Amino acid sequence: MGIFMILFTLIGGITLSAQSSINGTFSRKAGTIETTFLTFLTGTMFLTIFILFFGGGNVLALFDVPKCQLSAALLGTMYLLLTVMAVPRIGVIATNIAGIAGQLVIGVVIDHFGWFNSLVIEFDTKRIFALLFMILSLYFIYKGNKRSKEILNTQ
Amino acid sequence: MRFISYILALLAGAALSFEGAIYAELGKTIGQIETSFYNFFMGSIIMGLLLLFFGKGKLSYTFEAPKWSLLGGALGVVYLTSIVVSVPFVGVGITMVAVIIGQLIMSMVIEHFGWLGSKKTMINKEKIFAVISMIIALILIN
Repeated sequence: MGIFMILFTLIGGITLSAQSSINGTFSRKAGTIETTFLTFLTGTMFLTIFILFFGGGNVLALFDVPKCQLSAALLGTMYLLLTVMAVPRIGVIATNIAGIAGQLVIGVVIDHFGWFNSLVIEFDTKRIFALLFMILSLYFIYKGNKRSKEILNTQ
Repeated sequence: MRFISYILALLAGAALSFEGAIYAELGKTIGQIETSFYNFFMGSIIMGLLLLFFGKGKLSYTFEAPKWSLLGGALGVVYLTSIVVSVPFVGVGITMVAVIIGQLIMSMVIEHFGWLGSKKTMINKEKIFAVISMIIALILIN
């Protein structure tokens, strides 16, 4: 089950990157806020149809769950706003790398303490090495992108 | 000032992990597709307000744009639903690493071929090393 979930999430990452390319192209003509709005709006439309046909849960239970769980929608918007603020000052690559670092560290911290009732996975030596490899990977991304840029400039 | 921008970007990433963990919990009570729906519905309202007050772009371009460039929302749905489904099974850490690997590989491929209107950038040695290191991290974290 675990492996299957990981593959499923990999596909999630693939669609996310396709989304950012598509939205990047669209926002050049339509604007950033307009693009984000349209993304959310069309997403809502698709999901409305999905829920009508396949929804097994209960949307109305939204009124009964703890309000702090509803604040997650603000976190997504916060991500967008903070990214938009950082990109002009430090560039897309640095923003993405810092973003990924924050995502990974907090992900491991949440697992360790089991916050929000999530699975408790302790931070052990194996996970320390995993973090080291991720930092190494971020370093390679930085180097790789810098080199691509240099090649582009010399052309 | 640059230092603050790095902190902002770090916080942005942290927000994504928190979001994943909280939505996983919400998904257990109201259902996973319903959680995605809530996210996009709320997002539409928040962005709709921002658009009304601060929008400087051209929303009407939507009707002139090539149709494939309108698919961002549908793709975002796949991403969010996969997170809500996966976190309760494998935890936030593994989920985030898997998402990042998917993103890394796909963006390399997209840029290599210059698909979807992106600028063409060749895959190089460093980028392949980056993916390999990430995959090692995923194996270790599992």
